[in-house]
Amino acid sequence: MADHWNFVAAAYGLAVVVLGGYWRRLARKERELAALGRRA
Amino acid sequence: MTFNVTKVLGWFAALTLAAGMVMGFGVAPRETTQGNVQRIMYLHVPTAWVAYLAFGVVLAASIAYLARRRAGADRLAHASAEVGVMFTGVTIAAGSIWGKPTWGTWWTWDARLTSVAILFVMYLGYLLLRGMIDDQERAARYCAVLGIEAALDVPLVHFSVYWWRTLHQPPSVLKPGAATMPPAILAALLVNVVAFTLLYVYFVAKRVRLLRAESEALA
Repeated sequence: MADHWNFVAAAYGLAVVVLGGYWRRLARKERELAALGRRA
Repeated sequence: MTFNVTKVLGWFAALTLAAGMVMGFGVAPRETTQGNVQRIMYLHVPTAWVAYLAFGVVLAASIAYLARRRAGADRLAHASAEVGVMFTGVTIAAGSIWGKPTWGTWWTWDARLTSVAILFVMYLGYLLLRGMIDDQERAARYCAVLGIEAALDVPLVHFSVYWWRTLHQPPSVLKPGAATMPPAILAALLVNVVAFTLLYVYFVAKRVRLLRAESEALA
């Protein structure tokens, strides 16, 4: 059977985008809350 | 200097994920029947396991919330549901990408795929419900009930391959008896299961901390 490396790359690439995106969202929220705490 | 456990956990998860990639792409051999596209399983199977785990935690935390009404239990359920939805999404997408070259289709409405899609939609609904109710206590109570109901779909997802005739194969690891695969493939799979579990714990710990900080900022 053919290897279909493009499918492998698509699956892992998608996971990196989703999981990395979530991590970035948490980090941004953390920075926003820290800034809010400094202002208060 | 304060010792940040979550940060250490994050680095540990990152290192284990790197080890998982080395195992999945460097150590595990090319699968004879499927070819290299089988390497998607080192992502699909661990994320599916994490989804089971996440919704199991939602179930336990929701029961604890209804019994004790502690905000901490609600925050744990909320964080675990959010992370669980994300991992379920990755599981479905990775499975679909693997399915196209292997089964010849991106999607089929068999029992396993349908029950997991229902699980995904139910927990999306759980997150929407939280966003729709302003009263924190009421949102926590309604979501605890929904969290428990939705978790009942997890056994249905797992056993669907035994109860119905499905295109999806039965479990190779989470089943009675020994795993039916070569040791190198099993080792790669298990390292990735540990890695994604650590990533789940890291995300949930971080999200719980943020939810607590958010509620303190709002108070």
